[in-house]
Amino acid sequence: MTQVARPAPGKPRRLDAFTLASEPGNERLALARVARSVAGFHLQAKKLERLKTAVAEATMNAIEHGNGNCPEIPVEVEVTQNGDEIIVAITDQGGAAEPGHDPQAAEEPDLVKKLDGGQSPRGWGLFLIRNMVDAMDVTTDGQRHTIWLIIRTGGAAHDERM
Amino acid sequence: MTSACEATTRVLPGAPVIELSGEVDGSAATVLTAAYEQAVTASLEPQSTVVLDFAAVDYINSTGIALIVSVLARARAERRKVVASGLSPHYREIFDITRLSDFIELFPDLDRAVSQITHPAA
Repeated sequence: MTQVARPAPGKPRRLDAFTLASEPGNERLALARVARSVAGFHLQAKKLERLKTAVAEATMNAIEHGNGNCPEIPVEVEVTQNGDEIIVAITDQGGAAEPGHDPQAAEEPDLVKKLDGGQSPRGWGLFLIRNMVDAMDVTTDGQRHTIWLIIRTGGAAHDERM
Repeated sequence: MTSACEATTRVLPGAPVIELSGEVDGSAATVLTAAYEQAVTASLEPQSTVVLDFAAVDYINSTGIALIVSVLARARAERRKVVASGLSPHYREIFDITRLSDFIELFPDLDRAVSQITHPAA
């Protein structure tokens, strides 16, 4: 097995980049491809499953809320490595949809309220993302809206031959 | 929307069982609702415990979680308990994070869930 030295912090290395049509269900394609792109890190199963769920939820949001389920508007996915961090950037074109709206400030899902009818049963996506990754951020330039998912590999080396 | 979720309903003494397979996402709404109806209708006990078995489920997303919340809300309104079996460690964690496991007792497998329901002192 070839062990490749990790790049120094500040020198991100692209592992994969691809686009998906904004069609419901395509989040499964995103999670499968991201999982393949990080296979060489041999992440703990728990960490990999968390990443897959975060990628799926973020991609679903991009497809549905960012791009309005319009297949011709692509969701862009980029996977990079920076030191011991794997960063997945998922971009849609919904940056101008709701000026001033901060998705991170959305009401926290409360299961008791949901069971009593005080909240919609839905609304778990961002909550799951936040709980699945080591860090996350959201950026927008007025057109493009990107969610950044960051997980730390915990020192797992990358096998370049994967 | 075509669902990649399938449900098989069995009625064991005191425990109607819904065995799910495939993907539990938003498209599973019709399948899950119909399975719940069938399970509680076929049960001989009016307030039986419903078992959701996830052993053959390979994907649950946030919209699937919402469906499970809806089933749980309905069951609670009918004074039924819901238990779950066969969840992978990852989805057990998600049931913990969402607090579903505060309201749905989790069992490693279907046999242990049914055994606990039908022989609670065992």
